[in-house]
Amino acid sequence: MSNRILPLELIDKAIGSPIWILMRGRTELTGILRGFDDYVNLVLDDAVEYSPDPRDKSVVVRRELRAEILLNGNQVAVMVPGGTGPEDSMAARST
Amino acid sequence: MEEPLDLIRLSIDERVYVKCRNDRELRGRLHAYDQHLNMVLGDVEEIITSIEEDDETGEEIITKKTRNVGMLFVRGDIVVLVSPPLRTS
Amino acid sequence: MSSAATDATQAPEKAGSSSASEQNKRSPSDFLKAVLGRPVNVRLSSGTDYRGVLACLDGYMNIAMEQTEEYVDGQLTSKYGDCFIRGNNVLYIASQRR
Repeated sequence: MSNRILPLELIDKAIGSPIWILMRGRTELTGILRGFDDYVNLVLDDAVEYSPDPRDKSVVVRRELRAEILLNGNQVAVMVPGGTGPEDSMAARST
Repeated sequence: MEEPLDLIRLSIDERVYVKCRNDRELRGRLHAYDQHLNMVLGDVEEIITSIEEDDETGEEIITKKTRNVGMLFVRGDIVVLVSPPLRTS
Repeated sequence: MSSAATDATQAPEKAGSSSASEQNKRSPSDFLKAVLGRPVNVRLSSGTDYRGVLACLDGYMNIAMEQTEEYVDGQLTSKYGDCFIRGNNVLYIASQRR
């Protein structure tokens, strides 16, 4: 049993490293993970947001927030430790 | 002000603006609220904005409909924003 | 919940384990202490942004803001002296330090 790790231990190991977050809905974010709490509220530094263009939802807009952010854990769907965003993913390229 | 709900507490018996989901807006006197932000508003003006696209020109047509309701209950989970009237400080 | 999450919030006081990443840890509550009373950008999941001074917030991420400007699709649409934002709509709170 001791070789098993808890899901959030994986995220704890990602502190100080890049992380890629997929939110409920279509928004995605990347940044350096600074910390998190029991609710998986996340502090990200140098965050970059990828969200659908309000005028054409099929276009994804990349926005550098140039700030530290607190991400609401309620809206988090998927976390990819070490992930650097949709531009780096095979899945994103194939669409 | 120590917690956000204090802002609502200080607005009791005042006219407030409430922005809800689905482009619904309300203006009315705040009679009561609870921790979920369920609210009872009186003398309410409801504004519903809808955007439709003209089939021929493709232009967006924004229509605002208003109606008045004497008293209503707002379920807290549809609330996005509440703003008290501007205070002259 | 898991001990990992608890560690993340308590790490700054932890003696002995001081890897570079642990020293740089910044929990959500550390972040909030740093931005209270400062200009922030609050983004809702609808895409609407609210820029103003963060007056206070609670555990639901309900937010009270002052001198708030509302931006829909990047366009200034409204201003509020004080406003309350219900936490379930909040996607993130960004500091405006840079």
